[in-house]
Amino acid sequence: MPALLELQRSLREQLFGDPTRADARGGEALLAGDDGALRLAIYRNTAFATLVNALRLSFPAVQRLVGADFFEGAAHEFVRRNPPSSAYLNDYGADFAGFLAGYPPAAALAYLGDVARLEWAVNRALHASDVPRLDLARLAALGDSALSHVSFRAHPALSLLRLEFPADAIWRAVLEQNDAAMAAIDLSSGPVHLLIERNPAGVQVRCLSAAAWEFTARLSAGRPLSAVLADGSEGEVDAWLSEHLALGRFIDFSCTTLVATTVAAGETHS
Amino acid sequence: MTGSTHSVNEHSPIPAAAGIGLRFPHHELVAQGRPQVAWFEVHAENYFGGGAARQVLTSVRRDYPLSLHGVGLSLGSAEELDGQHLRRIAELVRSLEPGLVSEHLSWSVVGGRYLADLLPLPMTEEALAVVCRHVDQTQAALQRHILIENPSTYLQFRHSTIPEWEFMSAVAQRTGCGILCDVNNIFVSASNHGWDGERYLNALPAAAVGEIHLAGHALRTLDNGRTIRIDDHGSNVSAEVWALYVQALRRFGAKPTLIEWDTDIPAFEVLLDEAAQAATLMRAVAGNHACAA
Repeated sequence: MPALLELQRSLREQLFGDPTRADARGGEALLAGDDGALRLAIYRNTAFATLVNALRLSFPAVQRLVGADFFEGAAHEFVRRNPPSSAYLNDYGADFAGFLAGYPPAAALAYLGDVARLEWAVNRALHASDVPRLDLARLAALGDSALSHVSFRAHPALSLLRLEFPADAIWRAVLEQNDAAMAAIDLSSGPVHLLIERNPAGVQVRCLSAAAWEFTARLSAGRPLSAVLADGSEGEVDAWLSEHLALGRFIDFSCTTLVATTVAAGETHS
Repeated sequence: MTGSTHSVNEHSPIPAAAGIGLRFPHHELVAQGRPQVAWFEVHAENYFGGGAARQVLTSVRRDYPLSLHGVGLSLGSAEELDGQHLRRIAELVRSLEPGLVSEHLSWSVVGGRYLADLLPLPMTEEALAVVCRHVDQTQAALQRHILIENPSTYLQFRHSTIPEWEFMSAVAQRTGCGILCDVNNIFVSASNHGWDGERYLNALPAAAVGEIHLAGHALRTLDNGRTIRIDDHGSNVSAEVWALYVQALRRFGAKPTLIEWDTDIPAFEVLLDEAAQAATLMRAVAGNHACAA
């Protein structure tokens, strides 16, 4: 009689293991009756259908680009190699774009990985936790000279993607089934710099200038404002920062060089 | 039962009436139309994030009693529970104050991987100890009792020694948790394994039963010609399951009863009709036998 953990490991192997490997079949001896393998297949079918469907919901444009059958095959292979690490399935699929980019049958669609990366960012924006935006009064209390020393924490719905292909245009044309827009896309138009976020109207995908994107990406990665400015950001830095703050793209800040000031002001932020 | 009499801060118990499992396709209809439904139940995992879905749920909770049904905690895992998963459920319970919280007698996680189905446990003393430990841990984290649902299963293990109905009763007795009696699951499992569904019902401790689930199931023929019942929640409640529900009402009295529908989700009116059918039976049977337990 196997211990419970041993039985559960064996079932995982039978459900998700490489079907061509002999040891993937060993655990059937645990099952009652003479048709354990057929009964186990019911669970395998449900698990794969659930996970493939989770990917389908998160990557609708990818599915339209490759067709339902191709998508099913690719998703099935991805699921077998990468079962989710949690039961929160909105979190499942972070590695699907990387998988597609290296999936030989999809090699002819060079932009597929970029579209998948965009869809994953959209999915994250859709499901990110609700977090109160930064209280600007706290920031104002710092004063202008202190402001340059702060590092911001980005809203969990915010993503910044630099993609080689115009994935935003492809994504929109595919989901709107707009063949004319699709035909007008120039795949060699160069990289796009995207900001993906959620606002009260829903998920937004914005195309930024390279300079604005660099500035925003560094700030949202937690780099201090003074350092980002020292990186040589060119352009309307003040306007960009004002917009980020006004639209709630940052939820918190820290100011390590000004601990004394913030403690004196009664702040307890981290 | 419905309307604007419930405030969000009021703890709304789930009434002994027919409720409906709320799924995404009906979010807008329920959020805007506020249909006459006694209570709703949702899958906890669908609301771990924020945004529009969570907003709808918060507004639904303002106007209806709400039950929170987990499908991914994996109480039967031999390894430790996923602490982050438990914390996410605890956060939902804190913010929604649901009338009931439930999970399953099953497992889904091993080696840090979620296998995406409610998998069957061997009915052994070891598995019983594991489930009881995890129910204790969950109840401590949530600071309230939960209900455990009997699973639908398609296979059994050779080394099982405890009938499932005794296993369920033992978990309730040892941990103080309640039982979510899924009548469709009893019918499906009894049919798949040659059990007697009524015997299963009669073996459950009536005082522990806090909720009943009803759903449709499908028939599938295996390659060996044997017919298996699949718990796909994709059709009307079958006549046999309604009949077993009547037995459950005779034994347990009127209980909160949920209509679940998860695949090929129909128009909301279809769910209202199923709920009305459950309500009619509850009045006819349990109205006169409410003290039978």
